[in-house]
Amino acid sequence: MKTIACFILLIVALLFSSLVTLAQVDTEKVCRIDDGQLIFTLNLKWSEQEKKKISALFDLDSTLIAQVYSGKSVILIGDETWKVKKVQDNQVELSKSVQSKADPTIQVNDLLVVMDNWMNFAGNAPETTTVYGINNFEVSNAFVYSSSIAQFYFPLGKNARKVYLSGSFNNWSTTQTPMKMMGNGWMVDLKLKPGKYTYKFIVDGKWTTDPSNKLRERDGAGSYNSVVYCYNHVFQIKGHKDARKVVVTGNFYNWNPRGLAMNPSSDGWTLPMYLRDGTYAYKFLIDNNWTTDPANLSVRKDADGNMNSFVSIGEAYLFKLEGFTTARKVILAGSFNNWSENELVMDKTPTGWQLPYVLAAGNYEYKFIVDGRWMIDPANPFTSGSGNTQNSFIALKANHVFELSKFPGAQTVIVTGSFNNWNRQGYRMVKEAEKWILPIYLQPGKYTYKFIDDGNWIPDPANQLFEQNEYNTNNSVLWIDPLE
Amino acid sequence: MTSERVKYGSLCCIVMMAVAVFLTSFSPRTTVSRFSTAANVPVFHSIPALLVESYTPEFNIKSDSVIIPLKRAGRLFLIEARIDDEVGNLVFDTGASGLVINNTYFRNHLKSGGAVSHGITGAVGTVEQISIGQIEFADLRYKNLRADVANLGHIENRRGVKILGLIGFGMMRNFEIVIDPVNSELKLFKIDKTGKRLKSPHSGFKPDCSQKIEGNTNILFLKGTIGGKVLNFCFDTGAETNAISSDLNRKIMSSVTITRRTSLKGAGSAGVEVLFGRMNDFTIGNHPIHDMETIVTNLDALSEAYGTHIDGMLGHSFLKHGTVCVNFVSKQFGFRFTKGEEK
Repeated sequence: MKTIACFILLIVALLFSSLVTLAQVDTEKVCRIDDGQLIFTLNLKWSEQEKKKISALFDLDSTLIAQVYSGKSVILIGDETWKVKKVQDNQVELSKSVQSKADPTIQVNDLLVVMDNWMNFAGNAPETTTVYGINNFEVSNAFVYSSSIAQFYFPLGKNARKVYLSGSFNNWSTTQTPMKMMGNGWMVDLKLKPGKYTYKFIVDGKWTTDPSNKLRERDGAGSYNSVVYCYNHVFQIKGHKDARKVVVTGNFYNWNPRGLAMNPSSDGWTLPMYLRDGTYAYKFLIDNNWTTDPANLSVRKDADGNMNSFVSIGEAYLFKLEGFTTARKVILAGSFNNWSENELVMDKTPTGWQLPYVLAAGNYEYKFIVDGRWMIDPANPFTSGSGNTQNSFIALKANHVFELSKFPGAQTVIVTGSFNNWNRQGYRMVKEAEKWILPIYLQPGKYTYKFIDDGNWIPDPANQLFEQNEYNTNNSVLWIDPLE
Repeated sequence: MTSERVKYGSLCCIVMMAVAVFLTSFSPRTTVSRFSTAANVPVFHSIPALLVESYTPEFNIKSDSVIIPLKRAGRLFLIEARIDDEVGNLVFDTGASGLVINNTYFRNHLKSGGAVSHGITGAVGTVEQISIGQIEFADLRYKNLRADVANLGHIENRRGVKILGLIGFGMMRNFEIVIDPVNSELKLFKIDKTGKRLKSPHSGFKPDCSQKIEGNTNILFLKGTIGGKVLNFCFDTGAETNAISSDLNRKIMSSVTITRRTSLKGAGSAGVEVLFGRMNDFTIGNHPIHDMETIVTNLDALSEAYGTHIDGMLGHSFLKHGTVCVNFVSKQFGFRFTKGEEK
């Protein structure tokens, strides 16, 4: 009881203190425009923190603020003249003329970035963070997914002229995926990889949320998108037919003991779901009794000595290092595990070292640590960076190959672009049959890129799509389609 | 087809860049002259913004109306279209007169000559135009038209969608146009010579407030009031927020709350000042709309480009409050507030 009282007191105190802070600086009353003057009303009693806040919100130079607080009345910053006027106790007005001319060298894009931040625009980022998902349709056959084919069904629209399916899988295209009238509704089959997708139907031009799908999320425009998962895993446990409740939980569910309820099946309990590529620890809870998966031999002890079952989703890539047979320990470290120096211990083989490791499609950099000495993979010609920061590079489930047929005599050719923040160091291309190549995995979307041939930046001579950049040169343009 | 949008872009008054921020569509204007090799040649057309070219499409369907589903990218509305062999999106941008095409995808198209432009400083430049065989979207087909060309790459890079171009009212001014942002729909109704809808299954538009459309351009100018003073706004669906002029009078400005400012530094010393805030006292046809996000900046360049004095622009922050109906033939603009929006 006492603890609760203390807790409430603490909350009240916190609330009060935040109100006090808010009352001290009403940011909406700081800036105004009057008669061509931009005027800031500043309180001389503000704390350093409050000054900092105002300086950040209104982009006021810290030296300017410092001079105001030191009592100056005219301040010159760059070619702008600021005037300071005392208006009442502890309050001054800092003013300058509203800008009437501006610098022609400013790039529009810089402004766009600032505005996007201010307005909290969410980009159309692809869905990659969802770890697991379970569908929730009103009737079980409203959506079927098997053998990579997803079947969508719109149960209404008997008199509609045209119905389209539009979603994250086809870039929300309003024309790419027409549905076919089948009996009382409309249907379409679509080849999809396991994952989370959002979608709507377009019925004679009208966007329509799936009426039979209870899983929805806000579409950012006042309505809802339907959400569907294409499954890639089934948790199951045989027997326990008389149990009242069986759930599965694991690190994909933050080990929440409530767990995900499994469904009774003919010979036990089952739960199909989507799990993102990766390796997961899990356990079943049968009427509140923890148990590992009896059908899964992959069981490991955690740090507290508890046994957990393990499952890997996705294909394992076999990292291999030939030789070094006299080494005591070889570690695999890379961008996929934050370059941990002790996590991934490789297994010794008669001819060297290896480690199968499950990774989602993507681009990764890695190194081997042989008895404490970092080295790139001698069997992999693809690298990024240079000198000590040179790492081996691998694209898993690569869906694009950069190619440059010209310049076979070049010493180094690098491909760089929006996919790696225009890093000058790479990715380093490899010469194969008089051609420079680099396989890469790219999420659906637009990319701009260039080659750096022995230090010279050139757009892709084989790509007709290009656009002018801020330096008045051309960047090559590449689109990756989500359905490919 | 000449678009003042490009002309508008060719203005070198960089103050406008602050506005450009919100107008994705603005950038074609900038790209043509500012970021090209002739970066510092200020050019704009000698006849300001008053061309009333329009195109009448063929209907693929036997219907008197069509609903075009609008896609969203941030606060932009997109129409999926096929232009000759290219499939992508057109930004529905009523700040553009007609059609502006992204040069990335149409470099091999036949140039149909440039519209000669006269610079404000006497310099002469040209706005590139191309011929397009066919453009199709949502059961509408246009054949043999000319379009202005601009670099729209920055919209793509920022919003992650393929942009074939911008489409303004000029491409649909022979219809009654209903823009419904809540349902993300653009509805076009065939009309007779007096502007009345032909036989249509839909009932007529019932506005909460309406205005007579003045002038004869493809740009829609609207009257709104701030602080009791009537101001001239242009209606721009390509503007991701509203904008108002920083040199409006004291009473008007005192009703605007400024919440943010930034000054972007370029290679020169001054930088561009961008102010962001809220219009607190805006009314249209006696209906108040509170707390509309707005940019505050110098709009002289915009006025010059459109050939008429402009105090502000109404963009997405305005449009999201209701449904718009525009009829250039009967010269009527109507606005219906989304239920629960009007206070």
